Amino acid sequence: MAQLALMIDLERCFGCKSCEAACKQEHRLGPGEYRNKVVWLGSPGGGLDFLTLACQHCERPACLRACPVHPKAIEKDPATGVVRVREDRCTGCGECVIACPYSAMGYDPLGHHAVKCDLCPERRAENLPPACAGVCPGRAISFGKRESHLARAAEEGREVRDLDHFLLRPATVYLEPMKRERGLPVLPPGPCERPACLRACPVHPKAIEKDPATGVVRVREDRCTGCGECVIACPYSAMGYDPLGHHAVKCDLCPERRAENLPPACAGVCPGRAISFGKRESHLARAAEEGREVRDLDHFLLRPATVYLEPMKRERGLPVLPPGPPRRPAFPEAPRAQAVFEGNGASFPFGGDKAALRPDRAVPGGCNICFNCCTVKFHFKGEELVNITGNEEDPVLQGRVCPKSQFTLQLYHNERRLKHPMKRIGKRGEGRFERIPWEQALDEIAARLRAVRDQWGPEALALFVGTRTGLLTKNAYVRLFSQLWGTPNMEGTDPFCATGKSIAYELTQGAVGSGNSYTASDLGSAKLYLYVGDNQAETRPVYFGMIHDWRLRNGARMIAVDPRCTVTASKADRWLPIRPGTDLALALALAHHILSHDLHDKAFCGNWVLGWERWRDFIFERGYTPEWAAPLTGIPAPDIRALAEEVARAEGCVIFASRGVNQHTNAVQSNRALMFVAAITGNWGRKGGAFVNMTAGLPVAPDAPANRRVAPAKPRVRRSPGGWLDAMREGRPYPIRALIACNNPMSNWPGQEEVREAFRALDLVVHIELFENETSAFADYVLPAAGGIEKGEVGRSNDDRRVVWIDKLIDPPGEAKPDGWIWIELGRRLGFGDVLQEKYKDSAVFWDEVCIQNPQLRGVTQRRLHSVPWRWVRFPAGSEDAPEIETLYLEGATAPGQPAGRRFPTPSGELEFWTEELEAKFRALGLSALPEFYSEREQLVDMPYAELEAGDGEPGVVSPFHKGTPTGASPARIVQPDGRGPGARLRERGFDTELITGRPPAPHFHSWTHYFWQAQEMWPDLYCQLHPDKAARLGVADGERVRVETAHGEIEAVAWVHAGIRPEAVFIPIGWGERQPFHPWRSVNFLTDRRQRDPISDQTNLKSFLCRVRKAAS
Amino acid sequence: MNRSGPGDRLLARLIFAAGAALVTHFALLPDLPDDWRRPGSPALYLTGAAGGLLLLVSAGFLLAKRTGRGGSPVRWFEAHVLTGTLGAVLAAVHSAGRLRYAPALLLLALAGLLALGVWARLRGSRRMAATFAGKVESLLAPGPRLRDQLSVILREKELLLARLDPSAREGTFSPTLAHWLRRPRLSMAYARLAGEESRLLGARRAVPPGQAYWRRVHIALAVLFLAGLLGHAAVVTFFAGYAAGGEKIYWWHLAAW
Repeated sequence: MAQLALMIDLERCFGCKSCEAACKQEHRLGPGEYRNKVVWLGSPGGGLDFLTLACQHCERPACLRACPVHPKAIEKDPATGVVRVREDRCTGCGECVIACPYSAMGYDPLGHHAVKCDLCPERRAENLPPACAGVCPGRAISFGKRESHLARAAEEGREVRDLDHFLLRPATVYLEPMKRERGLPVLPPGPCERPACLRACPVHPKAIEKDPATGVVRVREDRCTGCGECVIACPYSAMGYDPLGHHAVKCDLCPERRAENLPPACAGVCPGRAISFGKRESHLARAAEEGREVRDLDHFLLRPATVYLEPMKRERGLPVLPPGPPRRPAFPEAPRAQAVFEGNGASFPFGGDKAALRPDRAVPGGCNICFNCCTVKFHFKGEELVNITGNEEDPVLQGRVCPKSQFTLQLYHNERRLKHPMKRIGKRGEGRFERIPWEQALDEIAARLRAVRDQWGPEALALFVGTRTGLLTKNAYVRLFSQLWGTPNMEGTDPFCATGKSIAYELTQGAVGSGNSYTASDLGSAKLYLYVGDNQAETRPVYFGMIHDWRLRNGARMIAVDPRCTVTASKADRWLPIRPGTDLALALALAHHILSHDLHDKAFCGNWVLGWERWRDFIFERGYTPEWAAPLTGIPAPDIRALAEEVARAEGCVIFASRGVNQHTNAVQSNRALMFVAAITGNWGRKGGAFVNMTAGLPVAPDAPANRRVAPAKPRVRRSPGGWLDAMREGRPYPIRALIACNNPMSNWPGQEEVREAFRALDLVVHIELFENETSAFADYVLPAAGGIEKGEVGRSNDDRRVVWIDKLIDPPGEAKPDGWIWIELGRRLGFGDVLQEKYKDSAVFWDEVCIQNPQLRGVTQRRLHSVPWRWVRFPAGSEDAPEIETLYLEGATAPGQPAGRRFPTPSGELEFWTEELEAKFRALGLSALPEFYSEREQLVDMPYAELEAGDGEPGVVSPFHKGTPTGASPARIVQPDGRGPGARLRERGFDTELITGRPPAPHFHSWTHYFWQAQEMWPDLYCQLHPDKAARLGVADGERVRVETAHGEIEAVAWVHAGIRPEAVFIPIGWGERQPFHPWRSVNFLTDRRQRDPISDQTNLKSFLCRVRKAAS
Repeated sequence: MNRSGPGDRLLARLIFAAGAALVTHFALLPDLPDDWRRPGSPALYLTGAAGGLLLLVSAGFLLAKRTGRGGSPVRWFEAHVLTGTLGAVLAAVHSAGRLRYAPALLLLALAGLLALGVWARLRGSRRMAATFAGKVESLLAPGPRLRDQLSVILREKELLLARLDPSAREGTFSPTLAHWLRRPRLSMAYARLAGEESRLLGARRAVPPGQAYWRRVHIALAVLFLAGLLGHAAVVTFFAGYAAGGEKIYWWHLAAW
C-alpha cells in the first residue's frame, strides 16, 4: 500500500486559515463542521505558533475501531491508506469523534454523522491535490505518498515531528519549525569546583568527595548517614536521595562505564546527541568552534563544570513568559460562538449537494477584496457559481489564495445583500426604510443634489468612495462625475491608509510604488527582509507566503519591527518591539550608524541620490544616534546598531513598510527616512533590494474633456474626510451639505462620535453599498451595489504592479446594480450623459476606451488581459506588445515614460532626498524637507509632536503636496516636549496605556467579511490584545470583556492575553461594527481622533493613542 | 453528500407531537370510557403490546447495526427514533396514569431514554462537532511512558487476536456481535484490552462527561428497560395473580402452567 498523506510544514504555516476555507468550500461544510482546522497557539516567548490539524489517516485508526456499526461506517482504503467515513452507514453516535486522540474527526451537527478528511477523492481523480494543499499561500501543505514526504524531509534536513505517542501510526507528516524557542535546562548543572553539597556534609571525613584527578563529585555511601544536608545545600537541586536506603545519591559520571572507556549512560543513549562527555575544556573549545552560546549558570559562584549550550533561538525583544500550556486566542469556542449562525443566514455553500454541484466549467478572474489581488477561478455548474479556487495556471501565484478570496462565494450568495433601493422613513440613525424603484430613487437624489448645488454651490457635495467599490469606480466613474459636477471634495480611504507613503514615494522616486516584482529573481533573491510596521502575513498573506518560502529556500534573514509580535514577527528571526509612532527615530538612527560607519553604498549615493550629503550632515548635526533613539523607540542602542549593520551588509535587503508606518502624523517623513535608508544602502533599483510600502498605485485617472469640466471655485476642504466634519456641522470654511458615501464611514472614519453628529447635520446622505451597515442607517437613500463578477472590474492596486481583470460573470442579486451603472444613471439625470455614456456601463468598454489612455497602461487592453489564462498584465505596458518589466529603475534603464537615460521619474532623474524645490514645498507648511524627528502627541514619554496651526474650519493654505485638485491644508510646527504637553496631561488623567489599532487576521478585511459567516466563525469577536503583566495588574483573564477608553471615546472588547505585545500597549483591530449580523461590536474608531493628522499628507494617526483599560462588567 | 434523515426540526416536532398527544390524552382521560383507565383492559392491553413491539424495534436497530444484516443502519436508526417515540407514547397511554406501581419505573426509564436521545441529537451534536481540534495538546506533549504501556497492550491484543479472529488485522479490528457470540471469553478479554488502550489514549476523558458517556448511559438504560419490559410481560402473563395484588385479573394471561 502506498499510503497517501499530507505533509504540513509548521515553519511555513502562518495561520491564515485558507486551507480551512478551501476544505469547507470543497465539501460544503457548515458552521461548526470541520475536516481540518488551523489552531492558533501562543508560545512562551510571545510568538504565535500554528497547528494545522486534519485526519492523520492512521494505520491503526482509533476512530475506525470505535465505530460500533458492522460493516464499519469508517473504512481504510487498502490501496491508498485513506480513512474515510461511509455516511450512508454512519448513524451519528459520535464514538469515533470521542475515540480520536488527535481530535481530528469532525461531525456534522445537523446532518448527524461523522465527517472527516478523505484527501478530496474527487480532486485526486482529476489529478489535483486536496483543496487545502492547492490553496495554501505558504506552501505549508503538500500532498503525496508518505514515503516521498519523508524522503523530501530527509533531503532538506528537516526534522519530522514524532506524533505517534499513541501507536496509531499516523500518516500525516509534520515538519518541525526550523528554529526552536528558548527552553529550560534539561538537567541540573554539576559537578562544581566548590561543591555546596560537599561543604554541607557534617560527616568527617566527608561522605561527599571531589576526585582531585577528574573533578567528579561523588557520594561515599559507606559514610553517608542520610541526614540530607547536602540535598538541602545544592542550589541546583541536583542531589538525589535514596528514600529506602536512606543516603544521598548523585551523578558520578558512571565510573564503571568510564573504566571501560564508555561515556556515561545518559550520553551513550541520547537520541538527539544532546549530551556529550569529555573534558570541560574540550567542550568549551567545541562550543566556541561551532559558534554556540554557553549558558552561564554560575550565579552562585560554585563553578559548575557542566557545559550547557543555549538552544538556537529566535530573538525576541520582550521578557519571556514562564513555560506553561500553550495559549490560544481568547475567543468563545464552539458551540457557543456557533449558535449565532443557527437561523441567522449561514448561507451557501453550506449544505449543498456536493455531487449535484460539481462544477462543469471554470472561468479565470480575480479576487476583489484586498490588496493582494489574488487570481482565482470561478467554478460554475450551469449558470450557478459553486466554487472559487486559486488559479493554478497563474505563473506567479500558482493557485495560492487566502481565505477571503474563497469567502467571496458568500458575497455572491448572501441573503443579507442589499437588493432594492430604499428611502428613509424614520429618523437618521434609526434604520427605517421603504423600498422604492430605481427611477424614483435616482430622480429624487438628482433633484435634491440640484437643490444643494443651487443653494450652496457644487462644492457642497462631498463624495466618499471607498476601495470596496473597486478601482474603476473610484478612479474613473466618480472622478469623472466629480469633474462634471465641479466639487473638489471627493476622496477615498487613502488618507486613512496610504497618502503618507504615496507622497513620500512621489517626492523621493517620482512615482508611487516599488518597481520590484514578486519573482524568485527579484524580491525572492534578497538576503534580508526587514518588516517595519508591516504585518504582511495577515494583510497580504499570499505575498508573505511567497516571501517566506523564498527566504527559507535561500537562507535569508527576516526581522520584524512592530509593537506586536504579529504573525509576521512570529515567523521572523528577530522581533524588535518598537514604541508605536517612533519608526522615524529608528530610521534616523539606522541612517546615522550606517553613514557614520561608512557603511553606505557610496557609488549609488554619489550617482543616484540627490541631497544625501545634506541629509547626512543634518542627521549628524541633530545627533540622531542609536543612543538617542533607544529611549524613544524602546529598542536598545546595540540592537539598532546591529540592525543597521545587517541592513547595510546584506547582499540585497528588502524593507517592507505599511500601515504601521503610514497611519501616523509623521507618515511622510517616516516613509521618506526609511526610503533613504534603503537608498543609501543601494537597495533601490536593483533585484533583491527595495523599499516596498504596499501597493503600486494603478495609474487610472481619466479626465473629462476640458470644456466639460467645472473647475471648483474653492479648494478641497482637506484631503482627509476627517477634516470635512466642521464643514458639515458648522459650514466652515464653507458648507458641505450632501454626501454620497460608497463605503462605511460610520466604521472607518476616525472620531466616530463627531462623525455621527456631522452626518445628522447633512441635508442629503446617499449610501451605495453591498450590505446594510451603520452608514445605511444614517442615509436618506440606500442604493444596492454590485461587486466583483457581478459587474466586471479591475482588481485592486497591489504590491506587484499586476493589473488583474475580473469579468462580469453573474447578475447581481435583486435589483442591485454595478457602481458604474449608478453613477452613469445619476450623471444622465444631471446632464453628464455625453461623458458618462451609456456604453460605459459595460466596464470592459469603459476600461479600453477611457481608463487606459495613458503611457503606463495603454498596452493593458482587454484583448491582452484575456490573452493569458491568468488575466493579468504587469504595468507599465505602453503598447499591447510591450514586454512586461520585472524590475523597474535598474541601472542603465530608463524609467517608463521618461526621456532616455532618466533612471528615476523624478525631475532630476535621481532619487531626491533634498532639493531647493522640495525644501520650498515643505517650507510652505512650516516644515523642512530634511526629516526632523517628531512623533505623536499622545505618548507615554514626552516627544516632539506636530501641532496643526489652522483648524479644519479655517481655510489654511493650499497644500503643495496633493496633485490635481487644490487642497486645503494647515501649516504646522513641531512642538518640543516641555513636560506639560497633551501626553503628560492625559497620563495625569490615568491614560497609561498605548492603544494600537490595525488589521485583524487574514480572514477579515474591513467590514464586509463580517457578513460572511465563515470569516466570523474563524474570528468572531472584537478583541483587545494585552500583555499578561498588564492583564494581571488589571485582574483580567483571557476571554473576559474589557472596557477601553481614550480621550475620544470608549468601547468594549474581549481580552486576548498575549505575551507578544509591548507590556505598555494594547491592540484592537478594525472592521467590526454595531450593525453586523453575527458578532456586532462598536468600531474601534470610537477611540480615535480625526484631528491628529500629518500636516504633509493629511494622513490620520490611527496607531498611537493613550488609553486606559479596565475590566468590563460582564 | 448530505443524506436525508430525521432532521432536528423533524425530531423536535415529533417529540412535541408526542408530548401534546399525551397531555391531550391524560386531560381527556376522566371523560373516556373506563377501559381507558384500566391498563389490562383489551384496549390498553393491545396498546401496551403494540407499544412494547414498537420499542423492540430499537433492539432490532442494535442488532442490525452490529450484524450488518437488515439493511441500512441509518434507516434502522431513523426507525428506532420514530418507533421509540411512538412506543413510548403507547406505553404511557397503556399505563393509564398509574404511576405508583412498579411498572411505572419502565416509564421513567423511557423518559430518560427519550431525554438522552433528544439531548444527544439536538445539543450533543454541537458539542460533538466542537470536539474537532479540541485535543491539540495531544499533538504537543507526549506522555513519557505512554508508548511502552501501549506497546505491551498491542502485543497482547495481537496474540489474542490470532486466536479470536486470525484473519483480522489488529489495526482495524473490533469485536462484532458474531465474535461475542462465538467466542465470548476471548471477545471479553479483547474488549478489556481495547478498553485499557482507550483509557491510556485518554480520548474519552478529554471530552465533557455528557458527550463521553451519554451513549453508554443510553444503552445501559435501554438494556434495563428491555429487561424490565420482558419482566413486566412475564409477570402479567405468568404471574397474573401477583400482578393483580388480590384484585380481579381482567387481562389476558396464562394461569395453568
